[in-house]
Amino acid sequence: MDGVLIPTLVSGLLLGSLYALMASGLSLIWTTLGVFNFAHGALMTLGAYIAWTVTEQLGLGLAAGFVAGIGAAVIAGVVIELLLVRPFYGSRNMMLITVMTTLAASTIIERGISVIWGPRLKQLPRVIDGQVNILGAPVSAHETLIIVLAPAVLLALWWYTGRTRSGRSLRAVGQNQDSAALIGIDVPRTFSLAFGLSAALAGVTGVLLGSIRFITPGLGADPLVNAMIVVIFGGLGSLGATAGAAYVIGMMEALLVLWLGLYWTPSVLFVALIAVLVFRPNGLFGKVSA
Amino acid sequence: MSRLLDVSGIHAGYGTVPVLHGIDIHLDKGEAVGLFGPNGHGKSTLLRTISGLLRPSRGTVTFDGQDITTAKPSAIVAAGLIHAQQSNTLFGDMGVEETLELSAFSPRARDGWKDRLAEVHTLFPRLAERRRQKAKTLSGGERQMLSIGCALMCAPRLLILDEPTLGLSPRLKGELCAAIAEIAKKGVPLIVVEQDVEFLLTLTDRLYLVEQGEVAREIDGSNAPDHQEIMDMYFGEGAH
Amino acid sequence: MTRTQRLFALAALVLLAIVPFFVTDSYTRHVFIVAFIYATVAVNWDLSLGLGGLFNFGHVAFFGIGVYTAAILTTALDVSPWIAIPAGGITAAIAALIIALPVAKLQGIYVVLVTFAFGQLCLQIVLSQGDLTGGAEGLVRLPYLTIGDYKFIRDFKFAYYYLALAILAVSVIVLLLIAQSPFGKSLRAVRDNPDYAASRGISVARQRVLVLVASSVMTGVVGGFYAIYLRVASPEVFGFSIATLVVSMVLIGGAGSIIGPAIAALALTFATEAMAGVRGMEEARFIIVAVAMIVVLQVAPGGVVDIFGRLLGSGRKT
Repeated sequence: MDGVLIPTLVSGLLLGSLYALMASGLSLIWTTLGVFNFAHGALMTLGAYIAWTVTEQLGLGLAAGFVAGIGAAVIAGVVIELLLVRPFYGSRNMMLITVMTTLAASTIIERGISVIWGPRLKQLPRVIDGQVNILGAPVSAHETLIIVLAPAVLLALWWYTGRTRSGRSLRAVGQNQDSAALIGIDVPRTFSLAFGLSAALAGVTGVLLGSIRFITPGLGADPLVNAMIVVIFGGLGSLGATAGAAYVIGMMEALLVLWLGLYWTPSVLFVALIAVLVFRPNGLFGKVSA
Repeated sequence: MSRLLDVSGIHAGYGTVPVLHGIDIHLDKGEAVGLFGPNGHGKSTLLRTISGLLRPSRGTVTFDGQDITTAKPSAIVAAGLIHAQQSNTLFGDMGVEETLELSAFSPRARDGWKDRLAEVHTLFPRLAERRRQKAKTLSGGERQMLSIGCALMCAPRLLILDEPTLGLSPRLKGELCAAIAEIAKKGVPLIVVEQDVEFLLTLTDRLYLVEQGEVAREIDGSNAPDHQEIMDMYFGEGAH
Repeated sequence: MTRTQRLFALAALVLLAIVPFFVTDSYTRHVFIVAFIYATVAVNWDLSLGLGGLFNFGHVAFFGIGVYTAAILTTALDVSPWIAIPAGGITAAIAALIIALPVAKLQGIYVVLVTFAFGQLCLQIVLSQGDLTGGAEGLVRLPYLTIGDYKFIRDFKFAYYYLALAILAVSVIVLLLIAQSPFGKSLRAVRDNPDYAASRGISVARQRVLVLVASSVMTGVVGGFYAIYLRVASPEVFGFSIATLVVSMVLIGGAGSIIGPAIAALALTFATEAMAGVRGMEEARFIIVAVAMIVVLQVAPGGVVDIFGRLLGSGRKT
């Protein structure tokens, strides 16, 4: 048992880290604007492709690739906010309409990527090669980096929204737009800020994932769905609950794969999801009021 | 004395429902002005229009010589025109101290925010006691104090208070009225909306009666009404 | 649904019924058949999304479940396609019941998330249960549809054309009847004014279960038909692309109008098929449809049908 337990735990932490990065980006936009960004996965994919182009095709190195990939995701995120979300502020069905427009954006980005980069699989180099020894079990150094980096990014985000002026302004706008405007916060600009920041998180996830999995136009679809499950479990309200749920789901997935195999894991996860929702309609950690 | 605020011929409303039909009010530097009148006749709509939350369909708002009719709310706040909304819940999940700190948001307000925070704490010691508490757990009176405190943190050059004593017990109301009088004494120009006309008469230099989206009457020291007249204004002649 | 709209629907049905007498080539008829299939999915989606105001984003999964039901029954169990196709409706309805369980109680965005995740998990299950579903490769060489010795593929798909049209027509007629029934009226009332439900003692949960199940049956049936007609089942039916395409049909046509999405489905299928023939447009056509949907949402939130309706309406008034 010892031989599989450590790798399973590591795999659970890895999945949890990736889901936490994705889901916290979704939660950030939701708490600030009340918009759910279905293009979040596509932004992640875009980040990975740009990083690949800069790193491999232009040969500028991995660091430049990461910066370019994350930057591209941020730009695309802000453009989505300006063109596809902003025109619908204040409309009666804004939540539903923006689901459709961001879904359309995800189609546009994914298909656009297919047109530009073609169907061939790509992969980013690893940040660190080799393996590290964790409690006697060899673990890829790159994956260990992700496991360490994700909580650091989440902590930074938590510190930013809690302690800095612009981070606090995001929360203020999310809680009361009129009051935020009346203390001098530029509300539309804060919306763009939320989208940009969330897209940066998607970009980080994309470049990290791009060296573990093959980069395809559908790279972001799977993680987006898993992040959605995280968000359903954890509720969209708070960063802590979202991150907690991400690690719970990641661990659950890894353990299920160990016990039941890949074959049954999706089905069991889904049944668990339905069961949680029947008994706790606002998610496992969600508050009672929506 | 020069004009600080000039609101002229404002028409505004929500969607296709007009609320304001050409309102004119003004305020000179160093002055305090009161607004009163029945509920639902446009007082809050007027304030929302002045602070930029609502675009008027006609008319202009000038603040300190600058046309702010179409300015963004954040720009208006940056210029120093501060509006504390009626029954303002502010940011429910934020702590008291955090909210006050954040309220010094515009570059102008950031200068000397610590001094102003100390002033707010002197004015409302209760906010200092509850500095870690979340806004949504505060009582009605404490919320009003926080709301006014936030407005002060914005470094107001003109402070607009919308029914700061709405729904408060007489004791708390007295406490808040005293604090507002204190603010006025420091020389902050004020526009106060209140149902208690007698309080307004002691606090302010001039009063506007807003009715049906228009200024129905302007009152200053020379034509101050007595109690009976005020009741008549509210409920119509001979209503009781 | 007004008298003119009903007459229009009837006229359209008659017109589509005589099309095969003028359109004799197999390819054009194929596009019509695919259009009828998409239209059936779109109008049924309109029942939950448009009329019911239920943010159901798992509707295409009902279609996919119909596809795989028919494919698995005919390949693994040698069931006749004539039974496998309606069986798709039954499994889709069962799936709708399962998903209705949590959805009946959820609010707002959580309905979107759960229904969407449902569709994606169906995809994952199809991919992971490779023994039964063929995994990523899908299932191929499903049996033909025949009556006696007559193969439906013969005479340039003559019989398939009418079967597809019949499925669409039944869907539209049933949906129009539902829309006009007291149930349809209470659906719209609750959609437009949630407080109405509480004041009238209407159970929103019960409404949602009924709407989901009602919208799933014909969707599953047409899914079964789709599998038998194309003779393949591929996991793509659960993907983002088909969902975006069909939701754009509903929105461009005008949510809640039933007829609108049907028209938009025909128009969009022909448009995308035409674009598919142009080199370099195979991928780009999906981008164009997505952009069209965004533009329609911005300039005509009621859908394109609504624009014509308003033009007609204002024409009559003045």
